[in-house]
Amino acid sequence: MTTIKIWNFFPREALYECYQCARCTGSCPAMEVAPAYGPRETILKCLNLGHEAVVQDEKIWLCCTCNVCEDRCPQKIPISDLLVALRNSAARRGNIPGKLGMAIELLAKTGRSMIVHQLDEMRAHHGLGPLPPIPVDEIKQILKKTKLNDVIDF
Amino acid sequence: MKYALYLGCAIPIKYPGFEAATRMVCKRLGIDLIDLPFGCCPPPTSMKLVHYDSWLALAARNLCLAEENGLDLLTLCSGCVNTLKEANQILKKNDSKRRKINKILEEHNHNFKGTIQVTHILDVLYQDSIVEKLLREKLIDIPIRVGCHYGCHYFRPPQVMYPEELSPAESYVPVKMDHLLSLIGMEPTEYSRKFLCCGSPLGANMDQDAGYAITRQKLIHIHERNIQAISVVCPSCFEQFDMGQIALSRKTKDLPKIPTFYLTQLIGLSLGMSAKEVGLDVHRVKSKKLLESINVGGQNNSKD
Ligand code: SF4
Ligand code: SF4
Repeated sequence: MTTIKIWNFFPREALYECYQCARCTGSCPAMEVAPAYGPRETILKCLNLGHEAVVQDEKIWLCCTCNVCEDRCPQKIPISDLLVALRNSAARRGNIPGKLGMAIELLAKTGRSMIVHQLDEMRAHHGLGPLPPIPVDEIKQILKKTKLNDVIDF
Repeated sequence: MKYALYLGCAIPIKYPGFEAATRMVCKRLGIDLIDLPFGCCPPPTSMKLVHYDSWLALAARNLCLAEENGLDLLTLCSGCVNTLKEANQILKKNDSKRRKINKILEEHNHNFKGTIQVTHILDVLYQDSIVEKLLREKLIDIPIRVGCHYGCHYFRPPQVMYPEELSPAESYVPVKMDHLLSLIGMEPTEYSRKFLCCGSPLGANMDQDAGYAITRQKLIHIHERNIQAISVVCPSCFEQFDMGQIALSRKTKDLPKIPTFYLTQLIGLSLGMSAKEVGLDVHRVKSKKLLESINVGGQNNSKD
């Protein structure tokens, strides 16, 4: 398994532009329900504690990817890119929430991220035919080549 | 007018009623939909966070299918449109990423060229020619106070989602759903936190209760404005409001439940389709009483 540093994806210098004004955290929905979390705090931890400490922390997964923080940042810091890079890096170290890991495995195995019982009956109830099959092998082969195996076995 | 219909996963599997309503509405308004063997988008809230290259490659495959058929791609979900628009933009602009992805896809006879656009059902219905067609139909008024929830990924980041429609301050405030619903006699009503998250990704990935706590914040403000119905353009937002209200009501009963609708269900009702035809019968929070009180959605409307 290869680990990656987020700085391969994200320019470290961009973080030095942060005012620590917390306009981002002030509008963050995840912060409201989990007050230990916040985008400002994540940026500060990246700078002070370093990347390795941040990607071990399961709290980075609280972010909803709603993008409000970045939208409101006066410094136009690409916070979303940072939060994507951090989590890509975390996932390679095995820091990935169980529910999310299961969803990714399902996607890799079936080509879709959802599964229900009696799908055909349910669709028929709404006057729809069965869902046509998708080329699962093709999707699996693509995911082997992109090395999804580094994160999830499938 | 013709599009490749990108259904995604949640709509055809969890909420086929939205698919049925969309197909009927599009048929009435002369929008042809072509089905292709698409896979998962994949979501900006799951695969993109876990493995970026896999996210981009699967998105590219979906884009290639539409390109190969010479069709723009029509999505029905805020998450799908976010992934597919962003991936389309990245692959069009970034030569090295495009080369890398094409190398992976070439064995499967796909080659991303960058020839199509990605759009969302809300933007398609909002086009002048479609609005004109809609207004020529015999529309049934739905005179209720509606709160629109667009879904974060439908319009953020605005530089990716609506680069051509940005304000001078480079921001974008969505209005199309409010405008469309006012055409069918609804009363779009503003509420605090309208443009904030529904809580779905947090619930799906980590902690269901924490996700619903975010939903509850929105619901409090929706109630403040005496809103009678919520309208969404995303199946994940829908589930958060519909199932969320059931889950929340098991803990506290202070907020009466408000029915949630997918946009094309409301347009369908106005076009005379019945509540059953547009799939309202399977929603957890029922809309029957509300619709009966204004005489909308009954069986016979479409027959006259
Ligand atoms: S809003 Fe921008 S500048 Fe202010 S704390 Fe957040 S990231 Fe830093
Ligand atoms: S994108 Fe994440 S960190 Fe930023 S405001 Fe939304 S939930 Fe908070």
